Amino acid sequence: MSPAAKLVELIIDGTPVSVAQGTTIFDAARTHGIPIPTLCHQQNENPVGVCRVCVVDIGQRVYAAACIRQAEQGMTVKTNTEPVLGVRRTLVELLMSDHPSPCARQQHSGDCELERLAEQAGIQQPRFARRTTPRGHDDSSLAIAVDHEACILCDRCIRGCDDIRNNWVLARRGKGYQAGIAFDNNLPMGGSSCVSCGECMVSCPTGALTNRSAVGTKLEGGALDIGALLGLPIFKNVSGTFLELNSHAIVERKFRAGEIICREGDFGATAFYIVGGKTEVYLSSPIAHVKTEGSAKGFLSKLRSMLQSREQDERTEESSRVSIPIDAPVDLPYDNPIAELGPGDLFGEMTCMSYYPRSATVRAKTDCTMLEMLRNVLDIMQRNKTFREQLDRTYRQRALDSHLRSVPVLASLTPDFIDHLRNRVELLRFTPGQVICTQGEPADSFYLVRLGFVKVSQSRPGGDLVLAYLARGSYFAEMSLLTGTPHMATCSALDHVEVVRVPGEDFQVMLDRFPEIRRKLEEAAAEHMEQNRQRVTKVADVTVDQFLNQGLMEAQSLLILDLDRCTRCDQCVRACADAHDGVSRLIRDGLRFDRYLVATSCRQCRDPLCMVGCPVGSIRRRNTLEVIIEDWCIGCGQCANNCPYGNINMHPFPVELDDPVYPGRRMAGVKVKATSCDLCLDHEEPSCVYACPHDAAHRVNPLEFFGGLLKQQTVAKPGK
Amino acid sequence: MGSLVGLAVALVVYVPYSRSSPQGAGGGTTLGLIYGSVAFAFMLFAGLLGARKKVPIWRLGRAQAWMRGHLWLGFVSFPLIVLHSGFHFGVGLTKALMWLFSVVFVSGIVGAVLQHFMPRITTQRIPLETIYEQIGRVRTQLMEEAISLVDEAYAVLHGDVSQASEQQRAASASAGTMGGLTVASGMQVDEEASSEFKEFFRGEIQPFLAQGGSRGHILADRSRAQAMFRQLRTLLPPNLHSTVDDLENICEEKREIDQQARYHRVLHGWLLVHIPASYALLILGAVHAVMALRY
Repeated sequence: MSPAAKLVELIIDGTPVSVAQGTTIFDAARTHGIPIPTLCHQQNENPVGVCRVCVVDIGQRVYAAACIRQAEQGMTVKTNTEPVLGVRRTLVELLMSDHPSPCARQQHSGDCELERLAEQAGIQQPRFARRTTPRGHDDSSLAIAVDHEACILCDRCIRGCDDIRNNWVLARRGKGYQAGIAFDNNLPMGGSSCVSCGECMVSCPTGALTNRSAVGTKLEGGALDIGALLGLPIFKNVSGTFLELNSHAIVERKFRAGEIICREGDFGATAFYIVGGKTEVYLSSPIAHVKTEGSAKGFLSKLRSMLQSREQDERTEESSRVSIPIDAPVDLPYDNPIAELGPGDLFGEMTCMSYYPRSATVRAKTDCTMLEMLRNVLDIMQRNKTFREQLDRTYRQRALDSHLRSVPVLASLTPDFIDHLRNRVELLRFTPGQVICTQGEPADSFYLVRLGFVKVSQSRPGGDLVLAYLARGSYFAEMSLLTGTPHMATCSALDHVEVVRVPGEDFQVMLDRFPEIRRKLEEAAAEHMEQNRQRVTKVADVTVDQFLNQGLMEAQSLLILDLDRCTRCDQCVRACADAHDGVSRLIRDGLRFDRYLVATSCRQCRDPLCMVGCPVGSIRRRNTLEVIIEDWCIGCGQCANNCPYGNINMHPFPVELDDPVYPGRRMAGVKVKATSCDLCLDHEEPSCVYACPHDAAHRVNPLEFFGGLLKQQTVAKPGK
Repeated sequence: MGSLVGLAVALVVYVPYSRSSPQGAGGGTTLGLIYGSVAFAFMLFAGLLGARKKVPIWRLGRAQAWMRGHLWLGFVSFPLIVLHSGFHFGVGLTKALMWLFSVVFVSGIVGAVLQHFMPRITTQRIPLETIYEQIGRVRTQLMEEAISLVDEAYAVLHGDVSQASEQQRAASASAGTMGGLTVASGMQVDEEASSEFKEFFRGEIQPFLAQGGSRGHILADRSRAQAMFRQLRTLLPPNLHSTVDDLENICEEKREIDQQARYHRVLHGWLLVHIPASYALLILGAVHAVMALRY
């Protein structure tokens, strides 16, 4: 109170009170130890008087809301007369009639302010009818759960967001029963510009905004002092209470030089932020693919599987990338897959956000201090403006060059043009399902995938057709920019995706300055268009549901077993195993089409799920649609797990590995590589077919082989 | 075709040969030795199929060609041996050989017939066919699934809503009640139905699912099983009918895998006779050849 402030005197519940002019009745009572209940008001926010629970009798025609009514000279205030209590009781009862009791907050911590007031007022069952129109839930944010049903429209969250944090994300929406809180222009919280500071949640008096803690997960490591955390720039502007609620989801880890922090292929749920020290990130898997080889001429010829790099064995349409994409701010060079990370770097985002296997092994180069965190804390970090700026800056400075150059068609970009792009590109984040660009809409940007997987699908009369899954290092929207047409497909985030947006005008400048890049992009675009056209034609031509449902029309070559001839002797399986060092790539099981068993071998699916989740993006399609597994497969098995038909196998190979106990020493170990049926290309005929004594196994082109059958079924279908 | 032509030639040659031989046709004559040698060579080739299968990827000719050779040459070798013996079984080793060869020949014919027809029958009658070696595992899974269904059903019968499946709650709701609430409170706990259900599961379903083969079990007979499940439905409230349907499907699947196991045994069981007899035949045949030529 300033010495010059004029005082007013009033009486509250018979007690004479003297307060500075401008003080509200609520504050006047509070400072003199007279409690007045309220819901919409709290100390650090400007009062708005919307809940009216703080009504008091000031001797006038209507009761006044104590939180906004200023104390006046000579005023007599009664806060707890029977009529006042009755009015408050009715107000609370009305709020309770629409409140899901117990709400999430009451269930977890028992401190829902509304339910506590109701309990104090002895309200068991509200007399009023419940609202019939549900307002719903919003679980899109990783950090905060929104239960609109429990919202009492007190606006505390809105004031917290706008007035205290100045984020201006929250506001009111709708009217009457439809009224509620909204994020941005009524977007889901996870898709809005919310920075997950947590202020709204700590402001909320009920269970409308609650913390989504990671249940049942406890991280090993040193507990962190919240004050120290708040001192880090990456948590600037985050609510301390919110961090405290999530304190179990972030720990400090210290690693000695040489210690392994995480290993490639391991499953995990955390990301690491380097506070101090340096780390090495590398791949311990051999950078090679599985090559099956053998003399096809000799009588006693036998196939042998071995690992060979692309220099030793060049395959058709093999990637010529010079770097390997990993779940870190840097890519690894193909020739020597090792890189360094330092303070301020974050790695393991994809593992943390989408539970993909670790893409590389990280070892402490010097003694290191790290923050290891679960996804709710990572989400808070990633939404933090300061951290976003840091991430953006780091990317532009350190990773943009290698990212652009890792894309073979853009490899010839000159340093000055990359410098030009440095200040022009934009890092954009998308949550799972969010559309990045829509088919039919004008194209204004070129996109490079930095993190996660982008699904490219085309809307067709019979439903959406997935054209591709794009992993880190892929790009999209170039076709529309090259041809000046609207987007030919819809691209959406399959998981937590981060893309680099290059504005359309810069893309055009690039095309003009680098004719070689234009030529390569045009060639690639023509190939993709032809590929898409073929896929669409295939779908349009085949009308037999079962054939479509089983994905058989996608296949170039199927291994089928004529079940009327097959004696189930398993000679085919044995032959396959013999041909591949004892690891069979064939299981005599699968879907049936007519009297044929379509045995497990890659069928080039319409929706190639095997490609989703590869942490290093090593599995992709050739333009012939055939699957190719690039040399930098780390053998995590994600593709084999994802393939619904069991058509990808993991082949073990003996290798030398780092000894985890004695850093610097090597030890014998086994690494696996993903493989799929190679059709025993060294032989005239696949081994499984060759070894079948009953003429039951055949490798066929499905459309040719089943042509007659398809025609019969198509004709038999009414209306076709 | 070639082997049949060869056989026809052998038969044609045999008639004048047998008439012109003063002591009648026999293995000791030149032609008899030729018949025997050719037949033994055919038998050896037929016997090599087993060895060929051990090295499936060796490029020694397609396995299908080997199988055809095995069938036809094996088939022709028997009449050639009969011609070699002059239609006599002989005594001692030759008699044993002839009987052994008869067993090999007949079991081979039976096997060929079975392997021609059984795959088709299996395909038609076992739509849910699994890998034979996985049958035990599938049976265990079916048992686990049935136990879980029955646990849920008991819970429903005793009003424990937390154990009821979504399907049961939906069934309860569609039966004119109020979903989960009714399951918990509105449905009458029918002790008699509960104990009948328990009895049926423990007495019939569980033993049927537990045992490998199911011959003789009441649920192994589809029509009797259907009748029993029909009766069970009349005992239980409508919201448990979907559970009964699931149990019936599980029993149907078990019947199928039992049938598949039977078919598999039929399809491959004859080999237990054919293969040992063939090896014995080849060894004794070699002994016979050495002895006949030497002595």
